[in-house]
Amino acid sequence: MDFEVTPTSHTLAAYRARGGYQALEKALRELKPAEVTQTVMDSGLQGRGGAAFPAGRKWQGINLDDGLPHYLIANADEGEPGTFKDRWVLENTPHTLLESMLLASYALGVRHSFIYIRGEYDHPWRRLAAAVEEAYAAGYFGASILGSGFSSDLFVFRGAGAYVCGEASSLLGSIEGTRAYPRNRPPRMTVRGLYQLPTIVNNVETLSNIAWIMRNGPQAFREIGTPKSPGTRLISISGHVVRPGVYEVELGYPWGKFVHEDCGGVAGGRAVKAVIPGGISSQILTGKAAGIMTANDPDGLLLAHEALAAIGSSMGSGGMILIAEGTCMVRLLQIMLRFYHHESCGQCTPCRDGMGWMHRVIDRIVNGQGRPEDIETLYQISRANDGTTICGLGDAAGYAATAILDNFRDEFEYFIEHKRSMHEGRLECL
Amino acid sequence: MPVIFINGQEVDTLGHDTVLKVALAHGFHIPHFCWHPALSVAGNCRICMVELEGDGWTDIACNMPVKAGMRVLTDSDAVRAQRKAMLQFILLNHPVDCGICDKAGECALQDYHYEHSGAPRQTPDPKLHTTKFFNLSSRIVLDNERCILCSRCVRFTREISKSNVLGIENRADHSLLRPAEGHSLDEDPYSDNVIDLCPVGALLSRDFMYQARVWYLEPAPSVCPGCERGCTVNLWRRKPEWRLKTLDARQNERILRVTPLENPAVNDYWICNWGRDMAKWLERPRAEQAMLKGRAVAIDEAVEAARALIQAAQRPVALVSSAASNEELEAFKASLGDVFDTFVKSDRVAADGEVIADELLIRADKNPNTRAAQALFGTRPVIFPEDTDLVLAWGEGVEFGELPRGAKILFMGAWLLPENGSADVFIPLSIQTERRGHYTNFEGVVSGFEPVHERPAGVADAETLLPRLASSSEGAA
Amino acid sequence: MRHLIPEFDRLKARLPPGHDATLLVPCLNRIQEDRGFIAEQDIAGLVEYLGVPRIQIDEVLSFYGMMRRKPIGRWHLECCRNVSCSMRGSERLLEQLAGRLGIKPGETTEDGRYTLSTVECLGSCGTAPVLMVNGIHHENLDPAAVDALLEGLD
Repeated sequence: MDFEVTPTSHTLAAYRARGGYQALEKALRELKPAEVTQTVMDSGLQGRGGAAFPAGRKWQGINLDDGLPHYLIANADEGEPGTFKDRWVLENTPHTLLESMLLASYALGVRHSFIYIRGEYDHPWRRLAAAVEEAYAAGYFGASILGSGFSSDLFVFRGAGAYVCGEASSLLGSIEGTRAYPRNRPPRMTVRGLYQLPTIVNNVETLSNIAWIMRNGPQAFREIGTPKSPGTRLISISGHVVRPGVYEVELGYPWGKFVHEDCGGVAGGRAVKAVIPGGISSQILTGKAAGIMTANDPDGLLLAHEALAAIGSSMGSGGMILIAEGTCMVRLLQIMLRFYHHESCGQCTPCRDGMGWMHRVIDRIVNGQGRPEDIETLYQISRANDGTTICGLGDAAGYAATAILDNFRDEFEYFIEHKRSMHEGRLECL
Repeated sequence: MPVIFINGQEVDTLGHDTVLKVALAHGFHIPHFCWHPALSVAGNCRICMVELEGDGWTDIACNMPVKAGMRVLTDSDAVRAQRKAMLQFILLNHPVDCGICDKAGECALQDYHYEHSGAPRQTPDPKLHTTKFFNLSSRIVLDNERCILCSRCVRFTREISKSNVLGIENRADHSLLRPAEGHSLDEDPYSDNVIDLCPVGALLSRDFMYQARVWYLEPAPSVCPGCERGCTVNLWRRKPEWRLKTLDARQNERILRVTPLENPAVNDYWICNWGRDMAKWLERPRAEQAMLKGRAVAIDEAVEAARALIQAAQRPVALVSSAASNEELEAFKASLGDVFDTFVKSDRVAADGEVIADELLIRADKNPNTRAAQALFGTRPVIFPEDTDLVLAWGEGVEFGELPRGAKILFMGAWLLPENGSADVFIPLSIQTERRGHYTNFEGVVSGFEPVHERPAGVADAETLLPRLASSSEGAA
Repeated sequence: MRHLIPEFDRLKARLPPGHDATLLVPCLNRIQEDRGFIAEQDIAGLVEYLGVPRIQIDEVLSFYGMMRRKPIGRWHLECCRNVSCSMRGSERLLEQLAGRLGIKPGETTEDGRYTLSTVECLGSCGTAPVLMVNGIHHENLDPAAVDALLEGLD
């Protein structure tokens, strides 16, 4: 993503001027599909949607000789609260995604690919749709692309307001025109996915790395980042931070430096109370545990998948939320549980009943009617959702709640006992 | 066949592909709401969790592929805790109005609660309320508060009956089972199967509602007489020890409901709605009085008169009932087959609005035993020889106006029809539920039925009556 | 919705053949964009055009937060109430709107001009608080900007 954003940097002309589509042209001319997949394997690229699963390994699940249609879907549903970095790609360099999807389609034998974009993303969709038309007009999509004999079409599918559709198997149901319930595995999506055929679903940012990797080679990719987490990640930071926005960060970058130098630290000069590393479904950390109290915090963690996993958290979706001292964590959890309740699809027992239950409990606490056993109830519901649900929504709510309760239990006990917030119910940092 | 280990015990997979199926085949109890052998796997109730030994990994068993040598625990601490948790979730908003719910006594939720939980509802917060009596159809009422959204009924209407009437609307705990807008389950001739499928009391029969507690009832195996498919059914009536002193014998012996009797050779787990109503159909007004040209007589006198008619006839023609049992038809063949020129008659045709035939169960021939009758008496269309002087008409569906004028009529039937009085001899007969017997369905499958109540006094069993009609004299000294 | 059928037919060009039901959500989105909501005759029309059972459309319609069966006000004001927006003043923003318009979230003004709703994260966390007006994001709002925005709506 090394370019300056200008009023025209999203156009095909600008993209080509910075070397765009050269990787595609070269691959179609000189490489076999399996070689593209091998390159992605060699790069060590991990998924950038939340699970950090190695992209190449996912691709290897597709059997190029099965004689079946294969599908590729770019997941642009980006509904994880705090996350807005895929949006940045769609608005500012959609062709990076398109070229990457073409390379992926070539590698995986995909004749029809999709971009599933959330219905609320109107401006990103316009930029994306315009880019798709530019690409079609230039012959990058359609029959026998650049005379190669490889044909591929792309359909941009707009969602209509359901966070659960960001879950890969739910997304399939949405495209198939049915209730978008997530699906049990087995079968894996690479065996039976869209229309019961082999399918790969990748996050927008994950795919967007492909063009760079093919142009510069897997070794160059590995030279950036850490051995276990090569490359860069787009981090969208928001909350009580001075300079919110989307930043491209080399994996392994010191977290404290990122927060206090690059992003300007906490608004109003307050101390860091906590940070949500990667979307509200990632486990919250106190500022101290994350080692981001100052730019050079001696406990400083590095922004890398393995570093956060080691302390029981995750880089997740890349949606970082900085929380200043003085914020009421009870009200914050209330907002999250309200969200999970609203977005639960209702298919499986623990999430359907559990999300409503958690929401009602926290509402009661915030309304001054909390009971001492409510904290344990929230823990119990979280445990009962851990590993028992069809998709990650129920588990996520449980992890979010558990992490906040573990770290800020005193605020909940206070609220229940005194029927009011320890911090005047404050969410803003004024 | 590969083997797996369940609770340390080695078991043969018997060709089953999931752990749940293997476990159930070997009698291991794994609770489940949403799984059903005839429907696709939904995997949404999350109560069939099992644990993989060693690993600690738990997952649903209904979607767990069998791998040779795998070691599964169905009752570990983790599994028990998860089951209790799932039951606690259901209990959160379930009305627990078992006291007024027909499903009590055959409810999976009740059973599992007693077996696997027993814990009271953990929160004092008020329950969520929603529709209690949703008018799903003229036959079925829906209680959304009891519904656990297992989707068995939805999958039934998509995969089996293909009526596509049912679905689930909204999200989260606002989800509701609903019919397609502008549609009703009355469009589905197999609708009532969802009543059996529903693991709780959310889908209930209007007909059966509040009629009896299921533990007062016992099933008797029978065969539906609605068409030549011959679906096997259970007819439910009060157990002898639960008959009420305030009711008479006939009322105490009423069939209170009809359910499918599982039959892989004929109807699997299903019957059509006509079959559900077969008990009502069998409760039509009965003929209980023998008559000679409308004059009431004792049955022995009628039998004597019938015998005399048969002896005197030069050109007797018989129209046998295709609703008679194998045994009755064989009795006719043995005793009167040589005497009569015998044709097979259709007793019943489709009524107005009745489905004629479909690809699931319903067949166009609305008689239960055409196959056996035709095997014995051929398939000739009914054509009376010119000099027919006696017609033995057996069962329903006889067009009296089309019988040869001048022929005597010996009519045997169960139902109170105006024509009974115009026959020269009329002998009332028993019906299917008053005797034992068998039907042969259109594919040659033979199924049996048991008696459910006593036959009325004065009514004859065709099987014993027919030989009497053939003998030259009665009560030879 | 019949006037939209030629447009729907053209969508098939970039789709694999034989999966007409894939057009259900795109068709519903377009119909709502055109009419403002999805009417009974639109659903009947889609049953015929796509060859899907009625129940499938009922289920899908009730599943998605953005789909409407009834018309709403001329201006749909959707205020994000999720974490980052709440941390940057969306609760005050909502109060301001409710106060100015005299309605609560979920309601429409008497004159039918404004409908106020709360929604979940819109992906504008870095430019919070955000208000979506007829599908367009208005970001970095403060009370003055909100007033100006409302003035600008006819």
